[in-house]
Amino acid sequence: MKRLQRVLVANRGEIAVRVIRTLRELERTSIAIFSEPDRMALHVLMADEAYPVGAGPSRESYLHMERVLETAKRVRADAIHPGYGFFAENAEFAPACADAGIAFLGPLPRTIAALGDKLAARDAAVRAGVPVIPGSPGPVGSLAEAKSVAASIGWPLMLKAAAGGGGKGMRVVRNEAELDAAWELTRGESRAAFGDDRVFVERFIERPRHVEAQILADSTGRVAFLGERECSVQRRHQKLLEETPCAAFDAATRAAFGAAACRVAREVGYLSAGTVEFILDEKGRFYFLEVNTRLQVEHPVTEMVTGLDLVAEQVAIAEGGPLSFGDEPPAPRGWAMEARIIAEDPAHNFMPSVGRIERVRFPQGPGVRNDSGIYRGYEISLFYDSLLAKLVSWGNDREQARRRLLRALAEFVLEGPKHNVAFHRWLCAHPEFVRGNLSTRFLEDHFKPEMLGAGEEAREVALLAAALHAHDERQRVAVGRREDATPGASAWKWTGRARSGR
Amino acid sequence: MKLWVTLDGRSAEVDFSTERGLVVLDVEGRKLDADFVRLPDGEVYSLLVEGRSYEVRVSPGRDALDVTWQGRTIPVEVKHPLEKLLQQQQGAAGRGHGETIAAPMPGAVVAIRVKAGDVVQPGQSVLVLEAMKMQNELVSHAGGVVAEVFVAEKAAVSAGQKLVTLTPHEVAS
Repeated sequence: MKRLQRVLVANRGEIAVRVIRTLRELERTSIAIFSEPDRMALHVLMADEAYPVGAGPSRESYLHMERVLETAKRVRADAIHPGYGFFAENAEFAPACADAGIAFLGPLPRTIAALGDKLAARDAAVRAGVPVIPGSPGPVGSLAEAKSVAASIGWPLMLKAAAGGGGKGMRVVRNEAELDAAWELTRGESRAAFGDDRVFVERFIERPRHVEAQILADSTGRVAFLGERECSVQRRHQKLLEETPCAAFDAATRAAFGAAACRVAREVGYLSAGTVEFILDEKGRFYFLEVNTRLQVEHPVTEMVTGLDLVAEQVAIAEGGPLSFGDEPPAPRGWAMEARIIAEDPAHNFMPSVGRIERVRFPQGPGVRNDSGIYRGYEISLFYDSLLAKLVSWGNDREQARRRLLRALAEFVLEGPKHNVAFHRWLCAHPEFVRGNLSTRFLEDHFKPEMLGAGEEAREVALLAAALHAHDERQRVAVGRREDATPGASAWKWTGRARSGR
Repeated sequence: MKLWVTLDGRSAEVDFSTERGLVVLDVEGRKLDADFVRLPDGEVYSLLVEGRSYEVRVSPGRDALDVTWQGRTIPVEVKHPLEKLLQQQQGAAGRGHGETIAAPMPGAVVAIRVKAGDVVQPGQSVLVLEAMKMQNELVSHAGGVVAEVFVAEKAAVSAGQKLVTLTPHEVAS
């Protein structure tokens, strides 16, 4: 296949910046697209070429398929990298690229379509002999049938409305007596809420861990497992911190896990980079969840321990080339963690925050990587994802990676919108996190907003700084300099202005 | 020089002195060497307290200074003892019947920020009084409409002298 020289990045923010970096290293021409408010975004500044694709709302720009494809054709792009989100897992976009004669840096269109259907994906896993969460194969017709399913899968279990989702229409049942009561209740609620009273029965996992497998597959049929990532620390299914390897894995589990992920990938004829997601129960047994047919947000931790560049691999695969490492993936070395730095306020229910980046100083030094799309003066807009940066640390072992991340978080100066750096410092210092005792319920179990409140030292620093500031300002105000003062300005603003005037 | 610092409802008196060119703070009986330098990076300061290094942002908040350290922002109210006295006076004067702003100490009026008829927000400065070689912003606590300004710039005033009166906003509108 021909060299993909001109690559359009159909994304924005940190992931567009990250892809552009690799394209430059590969000596390819990087082509950015941007919406009106993103004219000054970092990915536009960093790309070799950049073209406007419409207004602020994603639907009118980054998600406007016709315009993105028209732009790609017009500027003679050989390939499109979708990043994550936007068109990355859109079943119509990849075939449309193919029709336009543009390579899509991702799986084949039919794979995206097949894996986008959760039930079809689950069936593929079952066919590949990969465990799924034990449960009824379909809706359960009667209480008696529910009891017989319960007898085979054990307690506790969950009644799930067939039409439910996102945590709605689910009820945890701990024993047979509870099941008697819950059966009609769940069906009634389901009927009322969704107009559908079909109910599934599934084993309930109290404190699951979220563990996923990074895979790479080339067009010669080679499928490689590049290690797992644990993404258990989440809030409402939003991952906050990821790491590799998983602290709960031993070598045997890892080998079985990797083999299972590769079987799923082979079953669906997977191509390019992908992630097979599993949940891990308290006994260390893993169950297939779904396949994400894209480069994941948290892919840098895998890159840190394998030394691979997953974007470069995607380009090579799309050109029909082999995986860079041949048959045997490099053995992962050490440990890596990633903290998602998000414009949200953990002290106030993780409310999203917008505004100008007033000041920023990124962490540096040994074992630190920072993927970000922001710079000083840049305006965080409400239109897009609130991910500001991905701060990644690498260490010889988990403890060194953790301490490095904590150190890097302490170095991170970020002012403007509210953000979660202090939250991550709390998390990385939490004794249960230190021990590696994670689950998707970690925040519910351990986090309270007041834990982010100022400690004694912070209060002392604030007190002294404010006093010294006021003292300085008062001493600096000179008599006869206040005719320019405006009524209504506070004393602090006014004294600041008087000083800057000299 | 003394300042009253209030943080989370707790107040402390901070006394400033200079020893061998260094600022020494006396905070509730503790003496602390401090060095406070503005960085070329905005409202950001390097604070050294007894050698311990902190990088802080100090920016004007609504009624206080907002101090940001390690991603946490803490509002701190700083008052000159005169302002504290004034606040107590005004608190005692009560609200609802308008507000009288009087000189808390003898001094000179160096700036008048309002004229009769101006609408003043709570916390807004109305006048600057120089006393004890310090510039003091006198603020209206209740807000309202300026009824009368009794003094002119450069006027010398005595303690307790009436400077500005305000009527409550609702009455005026």
